[in-house]
Parts: sequence; C-alpha cells; structure tokens
Amino acid sequence: MTLGTNERYEMNCNEFEIFGLDAERDSSLSDELRSQALEHLQLCASCAALKDSWESAKTELITLRDFTEGHESPARVKLRVLQEFRTKHHSVQVRRRTKFAAWALAAAAILLCAVITWNWRMSQRDANARLISQNGPGTPNIAWTAPRKQSGLAGPEQTATLVADNGGDFTILPGTIWQETDDGTIVRVAMQRAELSALGFPVNEERAAEYVQVDLLLASDGSPQALRVPQ
Amino acid sequence: MKTGDHEQDGMLLRRASRGDEDSFSALYEKHQGALYRFALRMTGSPWGAEEIVQDVFMTLIREPSKYDPQRGALAAFLFGIARNKVMKHNERLPREISITGRNEDGNGAGISLQHSITPALLTEKRERLEKVRAAVLELPVEFRETVVLCDLEELTYDEAAKMLDCPIGTIRSRLHRGRALLLAKLEMLRDTPQRWRAVR
Repeated sequence: MTLGTNERYEMNCNEFEIFGLDAERDSSLSDELRSQALEHLQLCASCAALKDSWESAKTELITLRDFTEGHESPARVKLRVLQEFRTKHHSVQVRRRTKFAAWALAAAAILLCAVITWNWRMSQRDANARLISQNGPGTPNIAWTAPRKQSGLAGPEQTATLVADNGGDFTILPGTIWQETDDGTIVRVAMQRAELSALGFPVNEERAAEYVQVDLLLASDGSPQALRVPQ
Repeated sequence: MKTGDHEQDGMLLRRASRGDEDSFSALYEKHQGALYRFALRMTGSPWGAEEIVQDVFMTLIREPSKYDPQRGALAAFLFGIARNKVMKHNERLPREISITGRNEDGNGAGISLQHSITPALLTEKRERLEKVRAAVLELPVEFRETVVLCDLEELTYDEAAKMLDCPIGTIRSRLHRGRALLLAKLEMLRDTPQRWRAVR
C-alpha cells in the first residue's frame, strides 16, 4: 500500500475490515494507514455500521472479560503443584545425600584398608628385624616354621610347638650330626632331670626324678638336634 | 511483558529450579491467573482449565530446562504449554459450557451482585454473557485463541504474535476472521442484520 507522491490512496472496505476496525489498538499500523481507515470510516456508511456493530460486540466481550477477570485457579491446584515441587526437590536432595554418603563410605573403607595394610607391613618388618638381630648366622631360621611333629617324649598335654625363639642357646645333643636346615621345628617337652643328665647336662641328684620343661630343636627329618632349658 | 518482568521471572525460575519453594510460589502466583483465564475461555470448562494450569506448572517443575530465556518471556513459554494442553483437551473432551462461571471452590468473580441490579436484570445479563461465551467457544480454535488473547486478555498484537510464535500479519488475519465469525453470531443473537461482508 505504498503511495506515489501525487497519488492519493483510498482504503477499500475489505482493507478497512482488516486494518481499520481495531486501528486504535494495532500499534503496528502506520499513522498513514490509521488516517486512511478513519477517512474511509467517514465516507463509507456500511463500514461505519460495521464499526458500530463491532463496538457493541466489543462491549459484550469486555463484559465477558470483566466477568471472568477475577477468576483464578483454585487453591487445591497450588497445593498439588507445590506438593509435586516438594517431592521433586526432596528426592533430588535425598539422592544427593545418598551419593555423598556412598562416596564418603567408599573413601573411608579405602583409607581403612590402607591403614591396616600399612600396619601389617610395618609389624612384619619389625618382626623380621627382631629375628635377624636375635639369630646369629648359621642358626636355623625357626621363626616362621610351621609345626611339623609333636614330640613323643612326654604326654601330649605337656608338649607345645614354639613359633619363635624365646631366648637361651641350644646345646647340640651328644652324637648328633648337625644338619643345616631352614625349617627346623622347636617343640617343648617335659623331661626328667635324670634324662638330661644322660645327655650330658649337669643335674642335681636329689631332684633327678623331677620333670622340667625343655625345648628340643628337631631337624626336618624329625630327629632331635639340640636342646635348651628355657629360662 | 516488560524486560524487568522477564529478568525477574528468569531469576525466580533459576532459584526455583534449585529448590527454592518461595520463588516457585511467586512464579505460580504471578502467572496462574492469566493462564487459568486463558484456559477457561478456551475450554469453557473450569475443571479443564484447572487441569491445564496444573499441567503447565508440573511441566515447569519437571523440565525447567525446556524454557530458554533467549527465545522469549516465561509467560509466553507457559502460554505455549497451555495452548498445547488446550488443544489436547479440546480433542479429548466434548466442550463443556459452564453457566455459572464459578469454579468448584466458589472462587472467581461470577456476576457480582452489583448495587442496583435486580434479579431479572441479573438473569438477563447472565444469559447474555453465557451466549457471548458460547459464541467465543464456538470459534475455531486458532481464531478463538487470538480473540481470547487480544480481545479478552487484552494483549497487543505484537505480544500475541510472540506468544503464539507467528507473524503479526497472521494475528491480524486470524483476528479479522475470528471477529467476523463472532460478530455474525452475536448479531444473530441480537436479531440484527449481518453487516459483515468479509466472512459469509
């Protein structure tokens, strides 16, 4: 609807219905179109009647609008919506907390394992160091041997397998051929002092019938190698 | 739909999506009325309008990320959801026309008993309003929504175009045709001769 400089454009009835009927509200209309609509309205009786008719319809629409103006959704809608909101955000929070707790537990478990492993290694190292310092070279390593055999020299209630050297030197038994062994076994037995005398130990004659606890070092084939009297 | 409103809505929505119930409540209070009226005028059913408003906000709770502030105001986004729900509602259910204008709670204006209105006048006015409402509800949905938005919700053509995501020319053309149909119906109700020529 562009106009030439000398040309005067006139709006027709169809254009008036589209552009002119609500020209005052249509902010996208140019001033030119608006003035043409006004001009057409003054010239065309049919469009003027249409405009009147539309104005009365508008009044009815405004009444309808006013009638429903204060309408709002009922309070129960808000309650339902807020309930959904709470459920969603509560479950998100619970999920976050659970995730955090799971990670914290896993981290604590890993830390605990690390501490236990570290302590175990340190205690192993200390025990090895103690054994090395206690056992001279050539002495059989008896610290970690498993019990092989129970001695038959005394009753079973009197025997025990030692797992560590608890002090004192062994005396090699007379007539024994020393066997170098890495897995000798020490057994504690009860013997009469008289028997110790037979093995060359000095014994008080008056107490020869008494039993004493002795440690026997057994070779890997089970034969006794050495003996000591624990202090 | 001012810029300040847009920013305020954006801020409230961000807070609400982090779990701030007050912000969500503020958003709800700000938009529910217009949405409810739009849905009510489009469906003619208080129950339907109630369900639509609920669904709109449920969508906002469940998928707040669907709203992109770059694409427009939150109100337009909510109206967009409401429009879709209205379409679904209209497809699903036969139209209900409430004569009371009040919803279940008794909430809503209804026709207030104004000072000098006599019962007979009130009844006449109510009947007339009901006919206007029925005439609006009988419009095809795309004309109805432009008439509802521009003539009842009093949005500008530009705002309606943004809300319906279409050019302003489409709004103008839909309004023209919608008004023509509406006017024809209202003139029939008034028993006055039809003056509209464009739509016959």
